[in-house]
Amino acid sequence: MTTYLIRRLFLMIPTLFGITLLTFLLLRLSPVNPALLRGAGTAENGRAMTAEQREEMIKFYDLDKTPLVAYFDWLGKVLRGDLSDSFVDNRPVIERITERMGLTLSITGSALIISYLVAIPVGVLAAVKRGQLIDRSISFAVFLLYSIPSFCAALLLIFFVAGGDYLNLLPMYGAGSVDASVMGPFAWLWDRILHMILPVICLTYGSLASISRYSRVSMLDALGQDFVRTARAKGLSERLVIMRHALRNALIPIITIFTLEIPGLISGAVIIESIFTLPGMGQLMFQSIDAGDYPVIMGLTLIIAIVTLVSYLLADILYAVVDPRITYE
Amino acid sequence: MNDAAHEIYHESYAQRIWRHFYADSFARNGLRVIVALFIIAALAPFLANSHAIIRVADGRVTFPIFPSLEPIEWRFLLYVPLATLVYFFRKRFSHRPGIHFLSIIGIVALIEIVLAFHHPVNDPTNDRDRPASFKLMPPIPYSPIESGPDAFSPPSWKHPCGTDSTGRDIAARMLHGARTSLSIGFVAQSIALLVGVTLGGLAGYYRGWIDIGVCRFIEIMDCFPPLLLILVAISLFESQNNMFYIMAVIGLTSWTGLARLVRGEFLRLSSQPFPQAAQALGAGDFRVIVRHLLPNALGPILVSATFGVASAILIESSLSFLGFGMQAPTPSWGDILNDANRYIDFAWWLAFFPGLAILITIMSYNFVGEGLRDAVDPRLKVK
Repeated sequence: MTTYLIRRLFLMIPTLFGITLLTFLLLRLSPVNPALLRGAGTAENGRAMTAEQREEMIKFYDLDKTPLVAYFDWLGKVLRGDLSDSFVDNRPVIERITERMGLTLSITGSALIISYLVAIPVGVLAAVKRGQLIDRSISFAVFLLYSIPSFCAALLLIFFVAGGDYLNLLPMYGAGSVDASVMGPFAWLWDRILHMILPVICLTYGSLASISRYSRVSMLDALGQDFVRTARAKGLSERLVIMRHALRNALIPIITIFTLEIPGLISGAVIIESIFTLPGMGQLMFQSIDAGDYPVIMGLTLIIAIVTLVSYLLADILYAVVDPRITYE
Repeated sequence: MNDAAHEIYHESYAQRIWRHFYADSFARNGLRVIVALFIIAALAPFLANSHAIIRVADGRVTFPIFPSLEPIEWRFLLYVPLATLVYFFRKRFSHRPGIHFLSIIGIVALIEIVLAFHHPVNDPTNDRDRPASFKLMPPIPYSPIESGPDAFSPPSWKHPCGTDSTGRDIAARMLHGARTSLSIGFVAQSIALLVGVTLGGLAGYYRGWIDIGVCRFIEIMDCFPPLLLILVAISLFESQNNMFYIMAVIGLTSWTGLARLVRGEFLRLSSQPFPQAAQALGAGDFRVIVRHLLPNALGPILVSATFGVASAILIESSLSFLGFGMQAPTPSWGDILNDANRYIDFAWWLAFFPGLAILITIMSYNFVGEGLRDAVDPRLKVK
């Protein structure tokens, strides 16, 4: 296990290198930057530039250096934990990102947990009742959910339950009420939860659909195995066979697929946070793209890619942990 | 055994897949809906237009709709029937594929050359109120880019899906937007197919350093959430958000799943005896890959591509929704939803109808994908 872990960590190095290279090239090769330097930015598109800003641009992109030198300079800065400063408010990029990380992690995290809690029973039920009406209706419902774009669901939910002409049950926008800062801790928490319900629902159902598909397939696979037949043959009740023998084995692949959901959840967060005006990483990404704040775009892209990479590693390790048959030796 | 008996007892791989696919009611109806959507997209200018299809006035018969058609409308109008013809006469094609292939290329080239010199007449007037002794208007007599006097009118007989902030008819915009969404899904996924199959195929066939390189590249690409990469790419290269650019960006960021799949299939297939037999008979690498390995991997590729089309459509609508999509006048479903985001407090129809259209399209593609997956599943062979 330890040897495997070490080898796996070493294998990550070229990938990490590639991630930084791709992030760098994306910005370096962009034809927009030289255009900006030539003064193509106008007051009209909000990209007017002072001489000072232009200096900053040239310095940031190291356009006077060759790409290779510029890349290693940038990489050196990144390795020292310096993602340079935002163009918008001149604060360190890393600070701007970390202050928004908590909110994004909490909504994507709760969305992931809720979708697991709902999806596994649903998938297992569909697998056990394979081919019956309940299986077919679950399949249909799952496909239906999967095919509704999250932003569309968000808009309709806002219209029908939050401040539209119909029900006014939940707050429409933001991460907290205006007076959230003066509330007591419990009132604050309750207020926060109320604000998070709709965003979390919108983020949940996409991954709910795919996880329940996976758990159905995985459960079907387990139910077809010899040990399930053995368990039935020795006279165990159907409940025991399913819960103790089949489900436990079916869970192994389901547990590790959470990593597959992470890129999708982050993409979803960009959309959902911009609809509900939640000050998270997704909204920061959106705002930075809008404002042409390249240091923040680069920093965010890099951090998200690394988080995804680490979660892939985690899945591999988890797989070895939950399944004793896998040794990787 | 004579030929007729052979026909009866022999069922080709494609025929068997088709039979399984067609037996699945979800998949069958999904395919029907997709075909219907393509027909609607092709006929959109005739379903929603401010110009009359036929107009008789002062003893003269005119067809005001035709001069106003854009090149892309002509393309849909001509290529969809062409594809249908090719499909129905595919049996004859197999006898002399070379000649027929060349003639199709010729027809396509001819259409493209004529379209290159065709400049649509931009006539802002409409035929709704213009007097005529006889006129045949499209069912929805509004053009998708035509602003009207009544903004934010809820669904009514006059505007079946309501109007948006500048009084444009949503039904007209949706019909014309179908073309954008469908063609983006199709073309973007074709680009992804080209890249994914090429890279995955090379990695799976040659193995060694090429394989390591491609696998690392896939791993790197997979670390970036697709929408994020696309947003960054579009915002950095925004010369003008034209359709082909968006297609290319979506295609170039969504090939990794396909490449993994093709690599896996090629690794599996190339260890079987038949590629070696082909090589022993003197077939070159290219021939082995294209004629022997690729046809055997086609089933799973098709399944993955079908799901890919659905996700490309979803990505395009997300992009338009976020305001990074098509340029302003081009109607697309996501673009209507972008409007909906601003006026959601009261204008539910702005979100509902395009949302429903996206839902139906994506669901149909997913049903077709799922049906194909079941049909190409080798475990079904015993049936």
